[in-house]
Amino acid sequence: MAILKLNNVYKRYDNASGSPFKKKVKNDFAVNNLSFECRDGEFLGILGPSGCGKSTTLRMIAGLEQITDGDIYIGDVRINNLLPKDRNIGLAFEDYALYPPLKIYDNLAFNLRAKHVPEAEIRESVERIAKLMKVDDLLDMKPLALSGGQKQRVNIARALVRKPGLLLLDEPLSHLDGKMRQQLRYEIKRMHHEIQCTTIIVTHDQMEAMSLADRIAIMDMGKLQQIGTPLEVYDDPVNVFVAGFIGEPPMNLMTSVIHRVDGGFVFTFEGSDLRIPVPVRYNEIVSDGMKVTLGVRPVDVLIARDDEPSGTPIPVAIYEDLGDERRISVRVGENLMNLTTADAIYYERGDLVSLKFNAEKTHLFDINTGERIRAPKK
Amino acid sequence: MARIQLEGVTRRYDRTTAINKLSLDVMDNEFFVLFGPAGAGKTTTLKCIAGSEFPQEGLVKIDGKIVNLVEPSDRNVSMVFENYALYPHLSVYDNIAFPLRSKLYRKSEAEIKAAIDKIAKLMRIDMLYERKPSQLSNGQRQRVAIGRCLVRTPNVFLMDEPLAHLDAKLKHTMRTELKEMQSAFNTTTIYVTHDYMEAMSLADRIAVLDKGEIRQLGTAKEMYYTPASEFVAKLFGEPEINILPGSYSVEDGQGWVSLLDGVRYPVPADVAAALADAPSRELDVGLRGNDIAFSFEKADGWIPGTVYANEPIGNKVIMTVSVAGNHLRLVAPNDTQARMDSTVYIQPNYNNALYFDRASEKFITRHDIEGVLSYHHGSKGKGGNA
Repeated sequence: MAILKLNNVYKRYDNASGSPFKKKVKNDFAVNNLSFECRDGEFLGILGPSGCGKSTTLRMIAGLEQITDGDIYIGDVRINNLLPKDRNIGLAFEDYALYPPLKIYDNLAFNLRAKHVPEAEIRESVERIAKLMKVDDLLDMKPLALSGGQKQRVNIARALVRKPGLLLLDEPLSHLDGKMRQQLRYEIKRMHHEIQCTTIIVTHDQMEAMSLADRIAIMDMGKLQQIGTPLEVYDDPVNVFVAGFIGEPPMNLMTSVIHRVDGGFVFTFEGSDLRIPVPVRYNEIVSDGMKVTLGVRPVDVLIARDDEPSGTPIPVAIYEDLGDERRISVRVGENLMNLTTADAIYYERGDLVSLKFNAEKTHLFDINTGERIRAPKK
Repeated sequence: MARIQLEGVTRRYDRTTAINKLSLDVMDNEFFVLFGPAGAGKTTTLKCIAGSEFPQEGLVKIDGKIVNLVEPSDRNVSMVFENYALYPHLSVYDNIAFPLRSKLYRKSEAEIKAAIDKIAKLMRIDMLYERKPSQLSNGQRQRVAIGRCLVRTPNVFLMDEPLAHLDAKLKHTMRTELKEMQSAFNTTTIYVTHDYMEAMSLADRIAVLDKGEIRQLGTAKEMYYTPASEFVAKLFGEPEINILPGSYSVEDGQGWVSLLDGVRYPVPADVAAALADAPSRELDVGLRGNDIAFSFEKADGWIPGTVYANEPIGNKVIMTVSVAGNHLRLVAPNDTQARMDSTVYIQPNYNNALYFDRASEKFITRHDIEGVLSYHHGSKGKGGNA
């Protein structure tokens, strides 16, 4: 068990190796002024698109990369210059790297044997962890006979056998197919619940991060964008990047010019007659002619009843029945605006619908900086 | 435009049989989806139609004519691959013009221009004519690849997982765009995918393939509401359908289903009639995650269980509940907070339960089949062209 702390951590790769073929990287810091704290026993997700610096961060924590600047602490110990083996870390990568000639039992026991732990003790911890990761009936098999999901379980079990203070998982599910991924996802969550080991998972899959982590740190271009619980980053994104990255289907993000009309304001869109009322709580901060990025999730675009204030009727462009839910899209200028509903309603292309937004879940973002524009607190 | 038929087509590679006595009848102008897990034989089927694979047995017919021995280039089929296969040294315009300039379909440049303009506008790529493929985004590349196929009028349009290697966001956008363009295809389309959402969204009809054989053929609604087997039921919907062992009994003329160690409920007459004729009283009951209600307060008649895992995934929470040794996955609102191992009470909506024979895993029945397969129109009126 351990608290992990990163203070103003930077990482710059030395690209000046003289190779004329290497492109000059625009953002030369792979990790740029990163600070966060992972609490004792917490499950923290580091999430971002490829190249955002998430794996570099993990590798610096594990000791596989030099830290350019800043400090990393585990508990009270500054670990910048500790060897990886002295950091008391368990590490499981995307590919399993099991020893093919060894039985699963010997794979799990390998690290403990290297440390000359007595065999009886090894047996006890291997059996305990094997049971936890549901690989106890595979102990006599060789890695070749295992499925991808089973190999990843063994891989994580091997990291856990050493009783690490900190467990690091790097994209552990991305090699697995859909069903296996779903199942291992909740098994990992279950494992964490049972041993309460401080765990960091690095992933580019927002659904994986959301479902597993207590809190998620979202990174882009080497910088931390937001850190919060899954519900916080979903419901209360700090900028356009987070808003667009979290959620499936993605949030509708559209450029809109706000116009004053009788009794309030409306959103208008280039190339479209659609007008939708601006939620009243924004009245104090919007003005006639203001240009914003409007963000609203597909579940928060609603089809208005006849007696409700709503937008201009607009024809349905696409209707999709996906069984669990229905998705409807309308053309707003060049863009598609999507809405999802669990109701069993059916539309044909060209049918008119009147839309409104769930006022509490309608977000405005600065058109230039992408930062969130918040309504004044009541 | 053409009708495509396969009659008892078999394609073997060395020891494995990729497709086994497969028969299909794709109607003129239909959007037909071949859906199934990896290795099901989807792409092999497509290649047999395109002519790049030759079946050892069976007939391939295009518009009633047997084409087994017709060269691919003479079948007038058009194919989009997962990796678009655009010519990197040609501009977008020349890429699209390429098939029209070939010896087979040679047209005058004026005609070519008119055809390209029409398609490019539709695909929203008319402002990209001068660009090279390397200067396009993934989504644009895909639209160019589709445009290149649409520009001539093929007998059939074959698409092999065209969205498979896009990231989740782009996949969503491209799927809806493809759906929007669909009515403009105006030709028979056969589309291969392993993504159930693509299959349900795009298809007029779906063939579910597994191990080279068709497991079910029908509309998206039929796949979801009346799957032919547990295998098919598990392929559609997210989270995967819960399958629970149960049994059927009759008391005083009323049919009952028992499951989960002592839970019992009466079934409506249409279900009872079908279950009475079933080969066995041993059932598997399928319950979808959004057909199970839950409560943390004790409620009369609800089934007690414990929270095994709780996964927020944005617009919903997937809760795994442990009941009598079974793990049930249900869909909860996105702000649901559930501590692991805490007690939870669940209440399935048995009206939406699917009944399968335990031994064969084949579909027996469900309640109100006609009702769930019909449409509930929500429109207020017709507008202009969307």
